[in-house]
Amino acid sequence: MKKITIIASFTIFLMGSSCNKFVDYNPHEDYQITSADYFKLPSDYQSLVIGTYSPLQWLWADPVIGDIASDNSVTGGENATDEVGLQQIDDYTIVSNNSYLTESWKDCYEGINRANYLQENKGKLNFTGKEALYGQVYFLRAYYYFELVKLFGDVPLFTDHRLTVSDSKKYQRAPKADVYKQIETDLTNAIAVLPVTNTEKGRVTKYAAQALLGKVYLYENKFDASAAMLENVISNGAFSLVPNFGDIFLQAGENGSESVFEIQYSNGSPFYDWTNPGRGQGNLGVQVCGIRNLTGSSPYASGWSTNLPTQDLAKAFTTGDKRKDVTILDIEAYKTANPGLNITYQVAPYKNTGLYNQKYLPRKGETSGQVELNYLNNNRTIRYADVLLMAAEANNRASSPNDTKALSYINKVRQRAFGDANHNLTGTGATLTQAIWAERRLELAMEGDRFFDLVRTGQAATKITGFKTGRNEVFPIPQQEIDISGLNQNPGY
Amino acid sequence: MGLNENVKQSQVFNHVNDCIMNLKVKLMFLGILICSFFLQLNAQSVKLSGRVKNKLTGEALSGVTVLNTKSHKSTLTDEKGGFSIQAEKGNVLILTYVGLATLKYTVIDVAQIAEIAMEEENKKMEEVIVIGYGTQKVTKVSGAISTIKSADIEKLKPVRAEDALQGRASGVNVISSGSPGTKATVLIRGIPSYSGADPVVVVDGVTQTLDDLNSINSADIETISVLKDAATTAIYGVKGGNGVIVITTKSGRKNNKPEFNFSSSYGIQQLARQIGVLNATEYAAIVNEGSLISGGNVIYPDLSKLGVGTNWQDQIFKNAAMKSHSITARGGGEKMTYFLAAAYTGQDGIVGGGDKSYFNRYNTTTNLSFDLTDKLKLVSNTSFTNIKGGTVAENSINSVISNALNFDPTVPVYNNIPGTYGKYSVSNNILSEIYNPLTQLDDTHNQTNTNKLYGKIELQYQVVKNLKFTSRYGYTYTDVAGKSFTPLSYYGDSHINSTLNSDGSTRSGSHNSVYQNHNNYYNYTFENFINYNVKINHDHAFETVLGTSMAKVTGSSISGSRQDVPFNSWDFADISSATGIATNSGISLGEYKYERRNISFFGRINYDYKEKYLVSFTGRRDGSYAFGTKNKFGFFPSASLGWVVSSEKFYKLKVIDFLKIRGSMGTTGNENVTPQFQQITTGIYMYNVGQNSGYTFGNNPTSVGSTISTYANDALSWEKQKQLNVGFDTRFLNNKFNISFDYYERKISGLLFVPSLSLYLGTASVPSSNVGTTKTSGIDASIGFTDNINKNLKINTNLNFTTAKNLVTYTNQGIIEDGYYGIPSQSITRFQEGYAPGYFYGYKTAGLFQTQDEINKSPTQSNAKPGDIKYVDVNGDGLIDAKDRTQIGNPFPKFTMGWSLSLTYKAFDFSSFVYISVGNDIYRAYERNLAMTNKFRGVLGRWTGPGSTNDANNPRYTFVDANNNTRASDRYIEDGSFAKLKDVQLGYTVPTKLYKNKIFSKIRVYAQVKNAITLTKYSGYDPEISGGIFNTGIDRGAYPLARIYSMGLDCKF
Repeated sequence: MKKITIIASFTIFLMGSSCNKFVDYNPHEDYQITSADYFKLPSDYQSLVIGTYSPLQWLWADPVIGDIASDNSVTGGENATDEVGLQQIDDYTIVSNNSYLTESWKDCYEGINRANYLQENKGKLNFTGKEALYGQVYFLRAYYYFELVKLFGDVPLFTDHRLTVSDSKKYQRAPKADVYKQIETDLTNAIAVLPVTNTEKGRVTKYAAQALLGKVYLYENKFDASAAMLENVISNGAFSLVPNFGDIFLQAGENGSESVFEIQYSNGSPFYDWTNPGRGQGNLGVQVCGIRNLTGSSPYASGWSTNLPTQDLAKAFTTGDKRKDVTILDIEAYKTANPGLNITYQVAPYKNTGLYNQKYLPRKGETSGQVELNYLNNNRTIRYADVLLMAAEANNRASSPNDTKALSYINKVRQRAFGDANHNLTGTGATLTQAIWAERRLELAMEGDRFFDLVRTGQAATKITGFKTGRNEVFPIPQQEIDISGLNQNPGY
Repeated sequence: MGLNENVKQSQVFNHVNDCIMNLKVKLMFLGILICSFFLQLNAQSVKLSGRVKNKLTGEALSGVTVLNTKSHKSTLTDEKGGFSIQAEKGNVLILTYVGLATLKYTVIDVAQIAEIAMEEENKKMEEVIVIGYGTQKVTKVSGAISTIKSADIEKLKPVRAEDALQGRASGVNVISSGSPGTKATVLIRGIPSYSGADPVVVVDGVTQTLDDLNSINSADIETISVLKDAATTAIYGVKGGNGVIVITTKSGRKNNKPEFNFSSSYGIQQLARQIGVLNATEYAAIVNEGSLISGGNVIYPDLSKLGVGTNWQDQIFKNAAMKSHSITARGGGEKMTYFLAAAYTGQDGIVGGGDKSYFNRYNTTTNLSFDLTDKLKLVSNTSFTNIKGGTVAENSINSVISNALNFDPTVPVYNNIPGTYGKYSVSNNILSEIYNPLTQLDDTHNQTNTNKLYGKIELQYQVVKNLKFTSRYGYTYTDVAGKSFTPLSYYGDSHINSTLNSDGSTRSGSHNSVYQNHNNYYNYTFENFINYNVKINHDHAFETVLGTSMAKVTGSSISGSRQDVPFNSWDFADISSATGIATNSGISLGEYKYERRNISFFGRINYDYKEKYLVSFTGRRDGSYAFGTKNKFGFFPSASLGWVVSSEKFYKLKVIDFLKIRGSMGTTGNENVTPQFQQITTGIYMYNVGQNSGYTFGNNPTSVGSTISTYANDALSWEKQKQLNVGFDTRFLNNKFNISFDYYERKISGLLFVPSLSLYLGTASVPSSNVGTTKTSGIDASIGFTDNINKNLKINTNLNFTTAKNLVTYTNQGIIEDGYYGIPSQSITRFQEGYAPGYFYGYKTAGLFQTQDEINKSPTQSNAKPGDIKYVDVNGDGLIDAKDRTQIGNPFPKFTMGWSLSLTYKAFDFSSFVYISVGNDIYRAYERNLAMTNKFRGVLGRWTGPGSTNDANNPRYTFVDANNNTRASDRYIEDGSFAKLKDVQLGYTVPTKLYKNKIFSKIRVYAQVKNAITLTKYSGYDPEISGGIFNTGIDRGAYPLARIYSMGLDCKF
């Protein structure tokens, strides 16, 4: 019996001792970093802020949608089933499981969650420059919410922490007005702390925040507030129009004198991930609009013949407008005019217009690695010309209109476009309003604003084939989100 | 032909010489070993003489160990069965002989010659099988277990142990792989989960994995038990969910003279059949047609001089050698036993031959046991394995086979263009993806070297009678070093994969590179348990076990690659000699490590009343390191009942000798997840996840950022599986027939699955959660017949039958897609609610459009022209689009059968084994279908005009496939059902009287053909295509199983 006792106690000892600890897990065993290890150094915060910028790059398709959904361009592509998500938007057969819209939804919310994670942990460390750093965070959160509210209207709204698995299905859609209110708060807070310049190009500045807030006010039809806000950007004289319109869109023109806010892309860290092709450092929006199977010694590289400008857009430009050839490339005309380039290309197989998006056409030597995924072209998100045109509109539509100021701003833009003052406008009131809207189309064509401008100004139904008032002002909430989170769908979808 | 024969013969001859050399060396070595063990036995007092014979055959038995239990002396019978031993009246002699029942003989009269007859073991009645943490008499088992014995395994000599289960163990589905040494798909009772279906492997009580079966020498294996139902697997708790393969290796026998076994075989492997591709003239004609239809020019103006061209399959497939030699010794003395083995197995690959793909394994095994005291026993099993392997690219678009099938048949084998680089020719037509397979083989350089040490050290302490304490430490240490070299290659001037120019100079921006990795794995299981067996009132028998187990699995790897190997040569391929530098991305490093830990407590009570009523309870409490903080431990209980009807008094049926009815229920688990936590990742990209965190500020280099990359899930738990099993075992007609039948149902709840979380949570990786449910049901059955028809003729045949019906019953609508293949780029298999796991997903076809009118009247199918495939509008919305994709096949068989037959007639023995798989579909994915790649013979029956054909397999041929006829559809699905004569063997045992040499006690020679005949409708090489849940049955040019002709020798001495 003694032996039994010994063995039994030995066994019990083995069973009891340290057994629960044996199956505990600490991520440090695998050298993995968790939130417990973070927020101890300023660099932890700075690094997370860089991560908060990252989803801006993933939103490459938002400007593409802004033109395809409008009268500016068609989807094109290889056939009717190529880029189905964009074809639906083009044809106004949009269904709620649209992959492009789902991607935008997810990307914006990822940006918001990244910003919220910084918000959640703001109090853990104090360091010099922290407030200014958080100015960037607030700007970015406002930017992501603004994209959401433009695309979808009412959207779930949360700001205090990064959501976890247990927050799934907790939130419903907040009214658009609440979302706009949060955007205004964030931008106001950002303006208060952001510097006017940064040593690193592409970092958010006070002017960028003011310009964005001016734009947000315009979308809310708060013209007085918009005019006042945009005036901050103009009156400081920090920006000037690039004399030669075409230079803006060259690599050398990135972050130039007219650049208020640009989403930065790069070919410096080649990306290869076809599983998530739009989430790298390159601008996939450039690859999609390229000319198919292009050969010869032109500066252009080939692409997928998507987002093709319409003849309608081409005809909107008047004679002498230098912006036309910068905005649109008529490939056949270009080929004929430059026989020495030995150009051959494949005619766009589907919805061919013969025209290409010259502002963002892929160019040789501007990509790396997996060539389709790494074009370096920044998106010129807010240009000074846009600020001038927005300010013109705000002043023209303000409670006490200032058409003189409005005309001076719009004519600055036109003088650059025509190279002279002969094409200056003179109208006032509603005539001027129309003229400003028309000018916005020409100046900002293929930069992603057209659809949202048409909706904002109530012109969409008259300008866009297939657009239904009361339905197409916003896109459908992704079906997956409706299925999982039980959100209400937008009317008509 | 004659030359080939000569070569083969001389190979065989050389090989036989090698064998003899090997044998001599090994005999010497072993001789020395034996001498050290057995220098004993002296004579004294009275000598008893006797003769031993086989009761059934009357043959004299030589080599029987005769032990006097009183004096502890022993001797062996001579070749006439005679022996003499010191003994006195009343002494008990114990006689032992392999295969015969151990016999006790009490000495009555020392003066008389003792005539002793030994009987064959009554295997069916006394057989004991290995279960978790113990053994059980087979008649007392109330769970579901299939067992394979060493005799079968030794005959088959599988390179990997799991191959022995194919068709031989009911309830087990094995889909073999043709590539030397590669793991098979093994499913025990279907597919319960998508996260992995590999059963747990337990070798001598030590947990290993299916991957580890590459290192076990088949000659070491005594038995393989497959535990299938909850009653038998619940003792393995959270690891038992996919079934358990319990392997027991051989051990020595006490008081037995050494018995040696030497076996050697040599075989030639060859491709069983080719795939029909176009010859050069046919190819040129079809390419001309495709070009003309698409508005292009005639590409081959003159077909007459092309002839048949090159069939690249002839070039890449080689006859390859298969060799195996093993020598074992087993025996034991009074206090110790031993089993020693040394083995070599070498299999060359038929793709490219043994230079490029091969699997060479060396094993040694030392299984020892010592009685340290009367009560304390030490068991030490130690095996060491060295494996050297090389592989060629396989089962992908870029595989050697894919290149051979799709490459240009009009070019000659060798480069005949003066002044250009390269040994083999290039195609000027095919400019991407596909290239000369011989160049590819030439440029294939890789090797891995694996050293593995595994075994156990076990102490058994007999505390009191019937109560035994066991403490066991089992371990597996594996060290793998690999190297591969990607040289600069020339596939043609305009070929996009070329990294050399035609003059042999390097293309700008191109580099060769060498990759090296070093992986280390260490697993241990430390277990302590008590077995207590007791009988109360003679009729109530209890067998109990209670114990604990701690297990840890660790793995780590470090790898690196470097560009610019000198002279573009394998001879210099090493990181140390390459010259690439880090700033030019010329060097890269990789690392990973992982760990798993489990702690468990388990117990089992087996009770029987007069071996008539059987009851068993098992429970295991398991803690796993992988699970969330709220769910570290789980409990897995099971119970089973059995009733031996034939033991009842009222039982009068004379025909049925034995009948047992069984039933069991219980729970097991699955822990195929890794620990989850909220992780912060710093970097630019996270590949395949998309959770990138880099950004660019102006012209500065890309900025590295951080973000949360994964969510935590503290509630994460195991998959819980409930299994029900009912069955019976019976023997009838004088035990000549036996039948075993089981019906089972497995239901998984808490299936580990990717949950559907609100999209507004963002893009961080969603952790697995316990989401879904699945159900599997089926039948395992076997029927056997054994009879000695007369003195000369014995027959033994067995038929196995296995079905498994799998269904995913709930997954929150989530879908796991996999089975990605590049033609076209999309996933082909799915794990989805309402369907069988891993089913094929794509369009259904409905013949071909014959006329434009037919197209106009059909659901809208953009770009279709007459002669294109008509797809089925599955959802009926009048439009053919992605929503019309549906189930088009299932790669897993509806049922499988195995039929083995062995006949012994006098000195001859014959055995055959047939394996049948019914209902397994195959997706034919090796057809590349680029404009200029070679085509398959089906294209000759293509649509050429209205009414020519309506077969969706043969649409019109054009370069511009606007209808996308090559989209994933049932056009590429084939019925892969097959019947294979897997093994056929004829042996001859040389009668002992024919050789004077007294050394040997048995010599058997045999000839064997493996994969001799395959009956199937499948048009590819081989309908057996392994690949786990998601890649089984997708033929991307899979490595076919070779037909193997071999000859061998087994001897005992």
